[in-house]
Order: sequence, then structure tokens, then C-alpha cells
Amino acid sequence: MSNQAAALPLRKDWEGGVSPFGVSYGKLFMWFFLVSDALTFSSLLCAYGFMRHKYTGQWAHPNEVFHHFPFIHKELPLAYVGFMTFDLIMSSVTMVLAVEAGHRKNQRQVLMWLFFTIIGGLIFVGSQCWEWFNFITGQGATAVYRDYIMNGHHIINPHFVGANLVVNSYTVLPTFGDFFFCITGFHGFHVFSGVIINIVMFIMVANGVMKKRGHYEMIEKAGLYWHFVDLVWVFVFTFFYLL
Amino acid sequence: MSDFFEEYPGYPNYEQMATHDEAHGKTTRKKLWMVFWIMLIVTLFELFIGFKYSEELGELNKEYLFIFLTVAKAFFIVFVFMHLGDEKKALKYVIIAPYTLFIFYLAFMAITEGVYSYHIKDIIATVIGHQ
Repeated sequence: MSNQAAALPLRKDWEGGVSPFGVSYGKLFMWFFLVSDALTFSSLLCAYGFMRHKYTGQWAHPNEVFHHFPFIHKELPLAYVGFMTFDLIMSSVTMVLAVEAGHRKNQRQVLMWLFFTIIGGLIFVGSQCWEWFNFITGQGATAVYRDYIMNGHHIINPHFVGANLVVNSYTVLPTFGDFFFCITGFHGFHVFSGVIINIVMFIMVANGVMKKRGHYEMIEKAGLYWHFVDLVWVFVFTFFYLL
Repeated sequence: MSDFFEEYPGYPNYEQMATHDEAHGKTTRKKLWMVFWIMLIVTLFELFIGFKYSEELGELNKEYLFIFLTVAKAFFIVFVFMHLGDEKKALKYVIIAPYTLFIFYLAFMAITEGVYSYHIKDIIATVIGHQ
């Protein structure tokens, strides 16, 4: 470091010719993209907070909506979402271990950890499909509100169980279902594209592209995206399922 | 590629910069698993609180506790897993500062307006009802 500084006595950080942030172009713009994406998610969650406060007392209790667990016919509130969170944190750890293996240029370990990350991501996407299925068909509905308000009219529908964008049987508010579909759907789409990116990375590493290039920076960029997906889920988990 | 780095010696050369040996990797891995256990315990604690103490703790205390724990988890993800803690100070501020400022502002606005709408809803209903 001191040698470099001695070779360039006149160049300061912001005078050109140096990277003031100390990262490459691709990684810097991955960070900027993630900030903009984080703002999108934050806006959605803030809108959710607005509605949540506007309809204080009318909102559905997550404990009563999400209490199903596969193969167990008992009420286990939040257990499955807890598992999903664990799965995503776990896959985040395997991703960062892949990045670390890339720093040591150990191709075999990078492939192994990337493989585990892809599996974790697929488990999460599958879990979310299952969660949506139960939400839409109303398998887990205990507190059933079968009347709803549409275009200002109070309508009673005794046959409706489940949820769609107009009405749901968990609460009188259609907003509850709308936000559930919008936020978890948008997040699930991010997880899905993250899995695709990881699969592309896996194929590239397996074909020796990174070895030829001499470094594994692409893994780090894909890792940034994957950790961001985990980060968003931490917030969605808190605001949607716990509060 | 090597010509490029000779011409611009200040440009970050990933190949030299981010490579480390086995011993360094061992300490890094230890740190990563440590963070994983912290996050797992925090998540289990959140679930436990959500399970058991939803009534006793009081709604507002629970909200503050959950938000605090979530931000703590977010800090670990961003600074350890995404390696923002190892980056230059300038990059840290460029990523964190504008985002935090904007989000505090937006969350404050959304919550304030939400509470206001909650109170005005009944007033509007009453006014329309009397017409």
C-alpha cells in the first residue's frame, strides 16, 4: 500500500485515475442497484405500514392465518415461516462460504457451496408456493370472515373460503390479501431470479470460466444479490408475520 | 488486462486484492459461522416472543423489540455477509447514508399519515352518516 502511494504522490482519491471507492465498476454498480431495489421494497413496506395503521384492529392476525405445517395436521403458528427464514439464512451462509472459497481460488469448494445455495433457494421458492396455495385455497383459515365490502356495499358470501385480490376470508379488508400477494410475490420473484443467477454462476464455474479469468469476482457480485434477497426477507418476515 | 493495470495503477485489481491464503480463510470462516449462530438465535428468540408473549408484552413494546432485532440482523447481513464492513469508508457512507435518511423520512410520513387516516375515517363516516 505504501509503495503504491509513493508511486503516485500527486493523485488523491477524487482527482481521477484511481477508484475512489476501492471497488471495481461492476461491484459498485451492483451496490447501487441494490440500494435502488431496497428503496422499492421499503416503499412497499411503508405502504403496508400505512394501511396497517389505518385499519388498526381490523387487520388479520398472522398467527391465525399462517399456522399450517406440511404433513402435520396441527396448528403450529409461524413454525413454517420460521423454517423458511432459517432456510434463507442458511443459504446466505453457504453463499458467503462460496465467496470465501473463491478468494482462495478453490474451484471445487466454490461449486459445492454454490450447489447448496441453489438447493436452499429452490426449497424457499417451493415453500412460498406452498404458502400461497394454502393462503389462496384457505386451508388454514380458522377465523373466517365471510362478509366483505365491495364498491361500498356490504356483501355476505357464505361460500367463500380463501383469498384473492378482491376478497379474503381472513379479514374484511381486501388490502390484506393484496399486500400479501404483492410483497411476498415481489420477493419470491427476486429469490427466483437469484436462483437463476446462481445456476448461471454454477455453470460458469464448472466450465472453468473463472479459472481462466484468474479471479472469482462474479461469485461475489452474485453473492451480493443473494444476500440482499435474504436481507429483504428478514424485514418481510418481521413486518408481515411477526407484528 | 495487465496493460490496463499498468496504465491505471490506482484501479482495484481484484486478482491481487481479494485473494487470501488458507490461514486467513480459517479465521474468516469462523467469523461467518459465528454470525450465522447469532442470527439463528435472534430469529428463534423472535419466534418465541411472537408465540408466547404476544399479549403480556404490550403491543408497542413488542413492535419496538422486533424492529430493533430486525435492524440488528440487517446490520450483520450487510456488514459481514455482504462485506460492507471491509470496504472503504467512502463507499460505506454512499451506500448507507442516503438510504437511511430517505427511509426514516418515508417511514415517518407513512406511519403518521396512517394514524391520521385511522382517526379521520370515523369522522368522515359520522359526517356522511348525518347527511
